[in-house]
Amino acid sequence: MGEFDAIDALLAAAKQEIPLPPAAERRSLREELNLSRAQLAKAMGVGASTVGGWESGRDPSGEVREKYAYFLEGARTKLDAAAAAEAPADDPGPGDDGPAEADQAVGTDDDDVLPAPRPCVLCGQPARHQVEGFPQHLDPAECGTAGPAQPAKPTPRTEPRQPAPAGRQSRAASDVKDVKVVPVGRRVQAASDTPDLIGSAVAAALAQHAGDVEAATAALVKRAIPDAMALLDDTRKGGRYDIVAHPWLPDILRKQTARGADQIWEARPKWTRPELPTGRHEVTALDINGAYLSALKTHLPIGRLEHSTGNHHDRRRAGVHLITPPAWDHDACLPNPIGNRDEPGPLWVTEPTLRLLLRVSGPKYGLCDPPEIHESWTSGATESLLEKFRVALKDARDRAIAEDDDVTLEYVKQMYSKFVSTLGESNYNRELYRTDWMHLIRSQAFVNLWWKAHRAYDEGLMVVRAMGTDELHVTGDWRAVFPEGRGVTEVKVKDVYTVGTGPDQPPQPPESPS
Amino acid sequence: MPERNIEFGKYGARGIKGHEAVARQLDALAGYIATPVTARRGLLARLHYLTRTDHARTAARQAGLTVTARTLRAWLAGTRSPSRRNLERIEQAYRTVRRENVARYLLARLNREGRGTRVEIHPLNQSQVDRPRQRAVEFRTMNVRRWDRIVAAWAVGDDQGLDDAWVDQVVDLGSQWGQYEYVTNVGFAA
Repeated sequence: MGEFDAIDALLAAAKQEIPLPPAAERRSLREELNLSRAQLAKAMGVGASTVGGWESGRDPSGEVREKYAYFLEGARTKLDAAAAAEAPADDPGPGDDGPAEADQAVGTDDDDVLPAPRPCVLCGQPARHQVEGFPQHLDPAECGTAGPAQPAKPTPRTEPRQPAPAGRQSRAASDVKDVKVVPVGRRVQAASDTPDLIGSAVAAALAQHAGDVEAATAALVKRAIPDAMALLDDTRKGGRYDIVAHPWLPDILRKQTARGADQIWEARPKWTRPELPTGRHEVTALDINGAYLSALKTHLPIGRLEHSTGNHHDRRRAGVHLITPPAWDHDACLPNPIGNRDEPGPLWVTEPTLRLLLRVSGPKYGLCDPPEIHESWTSGATESLLEKFRVALKDARDRAIAEDDDVTLEYVKQMYSKFVSTLGESNYNRELYRTDWMHLIRSQAFVNLWWKAHRAYDEGLMVVRAMGTDELHVTGDWRAVFPEGRGVTEVKVKDVYTVGTGPDQPPQPPESPS
Repeated sequence: MPERNIEFGKYGARGIKGHEAVARQLDALAGYIATPVTARRGLLARLHYLTRTDHARTAARQAGLTVTARTLRAWLAGTRSPSRRNLERIEQAYRTVRRENVARYLLARLNREGRGTRVEIHPLNQSQVDRPRQRAVEFRTMNVRRWDRIVAAWAVGDDQGLDDAWVDQVVDLGSQWGQYEYVTNVGFAA
């Protein structure tokens, strides 16, 4: 009889499959939530093409079907709620926990009060309300996960959604922190397990000086150059290209006399607007954070520079070029891309300056004529040669800012700035004699500043000065254009001063670009 | 040795002997006075270097600057100026003495307590060679641990000794080391 029992149990377990909406609606539901197939697939634990199949008519079955039905149901609830109430102030905002929690539309009818507190599905803390049978906090401020990190945004729905961490089995997972992994050989390793050269150096210095911050900083500053070179070697492990440290260099890259300069023009901006409109202007001096750190991402020649002639630019190569610069007619509102050069005639410029000139002379901007290239010393180039080095320094810098760690911050700053300044024929760093890289990286910083000036101009601010590596003076509402902060993509205020006399002038509309 | 090139440059390859490139790099690291000896400033700098101490005077005399103390005083005071041949002697003596003085410290930095120094070997220039005769010669690096013979030969200006000492190291590149007898550049730091 046992056999029949088993069959009875099977029949009892076989229930009606959950109905799914038609295929076209599945797709529109997902797209209206601004979710990509890949994001949804990751949350469901299937491939992106499988989701594509479901959306074009195939039907999932089993456990996956239940999950998919749950997603579609939640998505519809959320969209209905958003359509009903245009004030989504209660929405926990982006980055809460991904598409699986798409039914976060609280403040609708289907949430009710629980008789006894039950653990919240988001943060695990006791909650007094439930939505569709899932206990949770209605106020994001109470919820431990989404609350404190999410300031109320007026339009949270338009923000890109973070995909849920893969492999999550239940919604009740209390830990929401992703683990950053890096490839090591054939496996991946948690980023925290790989040796952190910067962190360990700082910890060792602090331990050696018994927590004396000033002494530790001084000791770290002293060893910044060799440490930067060690970090560079470490980040090049497994890289495709060797770093050639002592190449043969053409004469234009050699100093003419012991204290003289070589023939390369780095296009350092030193520009002041000739005249301001009448009235009183409040000028803000902005400082670009970590200008040289960002400039490490540039097209660098890998091997020995080779000579070529002719007016032709190969995008896969980088180096220095002898060009005749085009005339610049916008000196009244924008700095000249080749900087403040008095001497006419051909000059040796670097790759970033040439690319800038070619770009602004192109059809999109059309600000000047294309430059005429006479000769070039170039080599095959890559943008990723120093990329891991830059990212390692940037991550350490971000972490130091977040943790308010002045020792690491100063150490990192010394590492990248001294790395750039001793890259050439410096006696303080004899491991690397790449004068060409030094010029290219500096020029890239100046080019980045030029683009910032152009962006300010494009957005309707008035650019007053662009000078040095990282200083930009503007008038107008710059906070709408540049985010303020300490990250490398943000700017900080150096100085605020007023120019001119008379009544306050409202921000000028931009002069129409020619 | 069979790996040696017999008629280098017959088909247009260009380069210098490996040991010459090494001597160039060692000279660059030694850091001579930049102003030429023909300028008054350069001459005075060299004479001061060669006459500062008794030890320096002895070394200069051994390096070939065999003039009386009276002449040296006159040169330094500017009442007389050295003839062209004596200028060459001063330059030669200066370089020899400077190399001798620097060699000890350079050697310590290159040996790095046995860890050695990474050396980059940039292959010869084949851009003027016909395409079918060009060969794939790669950029190579190696670690040289013992610099004693190389630096000693360089310090006394012994070309043949330097060549032998350098070839002794280059054979570590493997059976094709003959391709690196001539190079465009040898790069290392100290």
